[in-house]
Amino acid sequence: MRAVLLIAAKDLRQRFRDRSAIIVGFAAPLLISFLMSAAFGGAEDLHATIAFVDEDGGELGSALEEVLSIPELEEVLTVETRDRADAAARVDDGDLDAALVVPAGFTTAVIAGEGAELEVLAGVDAPLSAAITRAVAEGFLTQVRANRVAVATAIDAGAPVTDIAALAERAAATAPATALEDQPLGGRELDLISYYAPGMAIFFLLYAIGFTAKSYFTEQREGTLDRMAAAPLRPSAILAGKALSVLVYGTTSLTTVAVVTSLAFGAEWGPAGAVAAIVLAMVLAVVALTALVIAVSRTERQADGLASIVTFTLALLGGNFVFVATAPEAMRRAALLTPNGWALRGFTDLATGSAASSAVVPVLSILVFAAITAAAAAVTGRGLVTR
Amino acid sequence: MIALVIAGATIRRTRRDRTGLFFMIVLPVLIIVVIGSTVQGGDRFPIGVVDQGSGEFGAALVEDLEGSDSLDVRRFDDLEALKLAVRRSELAAGVVVPRGLDEQVRAGGSVAVGFLTQPSNTAGLAAREAVESIVADHSALLTAASFAADEAGGTVTDHLDQAQAATAGVAPLTVDTTVSGESRFLPLGFTYSAATVLVLFVFINAVAGGGVIVENRRLGLYERMLAAPVTPRAIVAGETFTYVLIALLQSLLVVAVGGLLFEVDWGDPLAAMALVLIWSAVGASAGLLAGTVLRTAEQAGAIGPIVGIALGMLGGCMWPLEIVPPVMQTIGHLVPHGWAVDSWIELLSRDGTIGDIAGRLVVLGGFAAVLGSLATFRLRRQLTA
Repeated sequence: MRAVLLIAAKDLRQRFRDRSAIIVGFAAPLLISFLMSAAFGGAEDLHATIAFVDEDGGELGSALEEVLSIPELEEVLTVETRDRADAAARVDDGDLDAALVVPAGFTTAVIAGEGAELEVLAGVDAPLSAAITRAVAEGFLTQVRANRVAVATAIDAGAPVTDIAALAERAAATAPATALEDQPLGGRELDLISYYAPGMAIFFLLYAIGFTAKSYFTEQREGTLDRMAAAPLRPSAILAGKALSVLVYGTTSLTTVAVVTSLAFGAEWGPAGAVAAIVLAMVLAVVALTALVIAVSRTERQADGLASIVTFTLALLGGNFVFVATAPEAMRRAALLTPNGWALRGFTDLATGSAASSAVVPVLSILVFAAITAAAAAVTGRGLVTR
Repeated sequence: MIALVIAGATIRRTRRDRTGLFFMIVLPVLIIVVIGSTVQGGDRFPIGVVDQGSGEFGAALVEDLEGSDSLDVRRFDDLEALKLAVRRSELAAGVVVPRGLDEQVRAGGSVAVGFLTQPSNTAGLAAREAVESIVADHSALLTAASFAADEAGGTVTDHLDQAQAATAGVAPLTVDTTVSGESRFLPLGFTYSAATVLVLFVFINAVAGGGVIVENRRLGLYERMLAAPVTPRAIVAGETFTYVLIALLQSLLVVAVGGLLFEVDWGDPLAAMALVLIWSAVGASAGLLAGTVLRTAEQAGAIGPIVGIALGMLGGCMWPLEIVPPVMQTIGHLVPHGWAVDSWIELLSRDGTIGDIAGRLVVLGGFAAVLGSLATFRLRRQLTA
């Protein structure tokens, strides 16, 4: 046991003396998290500024303008009144997100029971604002249509038609049979930094596969391993020592990034115990991957190359670079074939307020990946140290 | 001539480096696929619906939602699973059609259909308006039958057919949308990923490729070459030529893969060619400089991606500069990436020609000139020292 600790301590000293390990394990994930929080600080809200153009001047035009100023829309929409040419020019330039136009004769056409059309001028870069404007307009038309249907149905059903205006007013005042109501979602909202801080920390953790595998072959070349093998040590102690050093390095790196990004950039990682379990499982997966890379490589160069390929493929598929939740189904499934994809899934759930127990499935999945990888390494790399 | 021989040797070494080839060929293509398919600007908002046993009317509402052009509806059996998917952002929003909707509506009552989203999820806000409009439309029929029952007697069920007939008889009221203006973003999908990968990878791989020069210096290859009748000038020229050539090959690969496999339209050919050429020069200069500054080939391999990713983030390769605060936009234009991405936006989203990006090409040329002179100066000094 003492030998294992000594070997691990020696490897760690070497690791921390190498400046690139410090850069990759600590400086780079923090730098990139900082860049992300600088880029996205407070930029996540949607607020649309639209123009309202009333060429109609009738009752329905004014009614629509009132709909646009209801309190529910206040946080989302700022409405300016303009004429069509002005509004169109501003939408074209991108100064306004969209414009809603009530064409001349709209009210007359609707009252006469004819078809009618509202117009939305949409800026090319504001598709969401345009979608909201369009939906508000459609909602308004739906209401107008609903009143008409209600009046027509009532008349058809035999309601007295002495005063149609009063009937229409009563129809408009009827509570709708079904209406949309916001319900609490519970939990916390996921912000970008809470996704990408673990994403970047894990990506840079994967680099440890490369350094460790390389240092193994360097020691083999320089005869350090042979000398260790000559000592009264079991080969397993040597491997355990190396694994322990990766475990300590990886855990320190992830923990540091977690603490610093929580305190400095407001990243939300979740309950400490559950985070620690995911961190530990993920680092174990890295240890197993390192063992596999060493086992299947013959030279330092091969190990280095293979490690880079493993690092970037896992990071890309697992969602360390892209927000995989909004990706197509196939990619979400592919992410769950990787340990880092499971780790990110676990961190996302914890960050959005799921209970600590939600980490169980991710942790077990990562451990299964680690176990399979380690078994593959054991099968391909028998007699590794004495080779 | 000697410069060409030197270039040939370096290129052969690069070709034999299988990891390098992974970074030059496989990874860029993989990224184009992954990012391109993630940022497809679908105009359908993904929502989930859970029907808690609402009955006939509720089922009809779910069908109406599924029939909408602006929604992509997934059904859920369990409210908690729906909430989890919304919290994970897999869905823009969730809709809860409550148990007993039918009975309450038939009794003339008013029923709330639940809506779940994350408060600042922009797609959720837009989806809300779309869902609200459909719920209102669906509700119109029931409200009309209920209103008729109030006005003329009878029950809601009695008047449903009449309401149906009235709905069919109403003249259409529609919204017409026209889109205008010139975009300040790259087109979404594979065009976005191919253009940003082009900017990102030419640079990353050039800087990582600086490791070859570092290795040559460490092995004393240049000293041995200088012992032969080879001038420092020829070596510098040879290395510069190699780096430009490799950067160009990398660019052409991305352009070809994008164009042939992903139907990316690279815009005005002359302007695109000029931009690719100048960006290759920028990348090559950065790679040469890395080769003269860094101490070990490992540093180049580790630092290349980090510096490349960081500069790419600043310059708008990872997200559009249009959405970041003004100070970050300024910083983004202190690095060459910001100018390159801007030029691609001009070419791909605004049908720009070479005249429209001439100013930016000059700036990029300036970056290439400064980095390149610095690199060749250092390399010459290292050779003659």
